[in-house]
Amino acid sequence: MPPPQEGKRAALARGEDIIGVLPEDLLQHVLSFLPAQQAVRTCVLARRWRDLWKSVAGLRITGGQESEVTPVQELREFVNHLLLLRCGAPIDTCELRFAVVSDDNVPRVSLWIRHIILCQVRLLRLDISRDGYGVYFYVDNLPLASQHLRRLELIDTGLNDSFLDFACCPALEDLVIINGCFVHVRKISSESLKRLAIIDSSFNQHSRTRIYAPSLVSVRLEDNWDRTPVLESMPSLKAAFIRFIKESVDRCFYSDSWDCHNEDCQGCYDLQAVNSHDSVLLKGLSEAENLTLIDEHDTFIFRRDLMWCPIFSKLKTLLLNECWCVPDDFHALACILEHSPFLEILTLHFFSKGPNHKVEIKGGCNAVESSAAISKHLKAVEVKCNSVDAELLKILKFLGTLNIFATQLVYLLTYNVSIMVYNYLLGPSDSS
Amino acid sequence: MATREAGKKMIMLKSPDGMEFEVEEAVAMESQTIRKMIEDDCADTAILIPNINSKILSRVIEYCNKHVPTTGATGAAASDTVAPAALAEDLKIWDAEFIKVNRATRFNLIQAASYLNIKGLLDLTSQTTIDTISDNSLEEIRSFLSTKNDYLPEEEQTIRRENQWAFQ
Repeated sequence: MPPPQEGKRAALARGEDIIGVLPEDLLQHVLSFLPAQQAVRTCVLARRWRDLWKSVAGLRITGGQESEVTPVQELREFVNHLLLLRCGAPIDTCELRFAVVSDDNVPRVSLWIRHIILCQVRLLRLDISRDGYGVYFYVDNLPLASQHLRRLELIDTGLNDSFLDFACCPALEDLVIINGCFVHVRKISSESLKRLAIIDSSFNQHSRTRIYAPSLVSVRLEDNWDRTPVLESMPSLKAAFIRFIKESVDRCFYSDSWDCHNEDCQGCYDLQAVNSHDSVLLKGLSEAENLTLIDEHDTFIFRRDLMWCPIFSKLKTLLLNECWCVPDDFHALACILEHSPFLEILTLHFFSKGPNHKVEIKGGCNAVESSAAISKHLKAVEVKCNSVDAELLKILKFLGTLNIFATQLVYLLTYNVSIMVYNYLLGPSDSS
Repeated sequence: MATREAGKKMIMLKSPDGMEFEVEEAVAMESQTIRKMIEDDCADTAILIPNINSKILSRVIEYCNKHVPTTGATGAAASDTVAPAALAEDLKIWDAEFIKVNRATRFNLIQAASYLNIKGLLDLTSQTTIDTISDNSLEEIRSFLSTKNDYLPEEEQTIRRENQWAFQ
C-alpha cells in the first residue's frame, strides 16, 4: 500500500474527516452499510458523490430504525426507482427488511427479489414480516437460479419445494432459516450447501421434510416445531447441533416409545408416506466428528433412531443432555457410546442448560481395565449439573460400570460440599 | 520463522516498525491475504505486513485469535452456523468491546482489514462507522464526512429533483 498522501496525513493529524480520507473503494464499502435511502441521499453532498450510490455493492432496504419495521407501501416508490436506476450494477450483499401488510404487494416484492438475484447478489437476507401471528411472506413457487448466490438468510419466510431446490445455485454454501414455514415443503435439496441452520421453524405435522445436502459440513437444527426433518447421507459432515425444546408431534402420549399400538396416537401413527424403518437423524449424522444432541421435550426421535444406530466412526466429541440417561434407563447412552469407537470427549448436561452450570464433574477412563462398551480413545468425560443428588450418583455409578471415574469435582458457585459424596465420586476403589 | 509448538504450525508476522508476532497458522489464515501467501508457499520466513504498525497489527491479531474457528471440549462447533447461540452472543459482546476505539484507530483498522482481507473485521469496523452517523440528517453526514459542497445552488437543486424519490 502506498503511504497516505500529505493531505490525508494533515487531516488525520487534525483528528478530523476520518472517513473522508479513506480510499474510494473502502469508502464505498463503508457506505454499503448505510440504509439505502441515506446512501442515495449522499448524491447531494458533492460532485464526487453524485453517482457513487449507483455502484455501492451493499443494499440495505430496511426502512427506518432497527426497532421498527416499515410497511412496504412506504418503500415501494423508493425501491422501484433504486433498482431501475442502478442499472443492474452488481450487488454483493442485500438485505430486505420490511412488513408486507397486503397480499397485493407480494408479487412486487417477489419481482424485486428476482431482480436482485439477477444483479449477481452473493449474500441475500430476507426479513419480510406479514401482519399477524403465523402469517408468512411466501416466496415465489419458482426455482432460484444464480451462479453467484453464496449465502441465503431467510427470516419469517414461507417456503416451497421449488424455491428450496437449489440445483441452479451451484455456489450456494450457507443457508440460514429462522422462523421459516416448511409446512408445504417435501424436500430441501442442494449439492453445494456446506452449512445449514434451521431455527425456530415449523414443519408439517403429517409428513417429514427430507434434507438432501451431500456436501454439508455443519448442520444445526434447533428448536423447531412439528415433524423432525429426515437427514439424508452427508459424507463430509464435521459438526452437528440438534436440539429439541419445543413441544413436538414426534412424541408419544401413551408410552415412551414410538410404537404404542394405539392407532389414535398422533405422535406414533399420524404420519404419511414414511418408511417406518427409516432413521430420521442419526444415520445422516453418522460421519460427524462433533455432535451435540439435546432433547428437552421427550421427543422420541433419538431413541427411535437408536434402533438402527449407525457406527459413528469419526465421532470425537459428543455432548448429550439428561434425556439420554434418565435414571434408571441408560440404554440410550450405552448404545451411542458403544457405537462411537473413537470418541475422545464426552460431555453430559444433566438438568442444567448452561452456560452457567453450578457443578462440573470431570472424569476419565481407567486405563488399566478398558471396557469393550466404550471408546479406547476416551480422554475426558465432563458432567455438568446444578446439584449433586441421588439421580446424579446413579449416572456416575453407571459410568463406573464403563470404567469411567470422576477425578475432579468443581463447584462453580458456593456450595456446601459433603465430604462423603465427594469421596464417593473418587476412584474405582470407592465406587464399589 | 515457521516453527512448531505443541503440534501447531506457527507463523511470524512483522510490522514495519520492527515488531514480530508469532501466531498460529490457523489464526493468521483468518486473513485471506496471508492465507494466499501460505498456500503459495511464500511464508517460510517471517511475513512483513507493510503499512500496518505494531499497535494496529496486534489488535488485528487479537481479533483473529478470537474469531478463529475452534472445536471446544463442550462440543462447541467449528462454524457460525453450528456454534451455539450463546457462543455467537459472546462473540458479539466481545466485538462490541473490541471496537470501542477512537476514530483514528478504527480508520486504521478498516485499512488493515481491507489490506489483509479479513471480512469479519472489515464489516465490523464499517458497520460501527455507519452506526455513528446513520441516524443523523444529511447535513450531519456531510459534516461527518467533512465533504465540501462544490455544487452550484442550481446544480444541487437539479440533483435533488432528479433523485426526489429518495428524499420523501
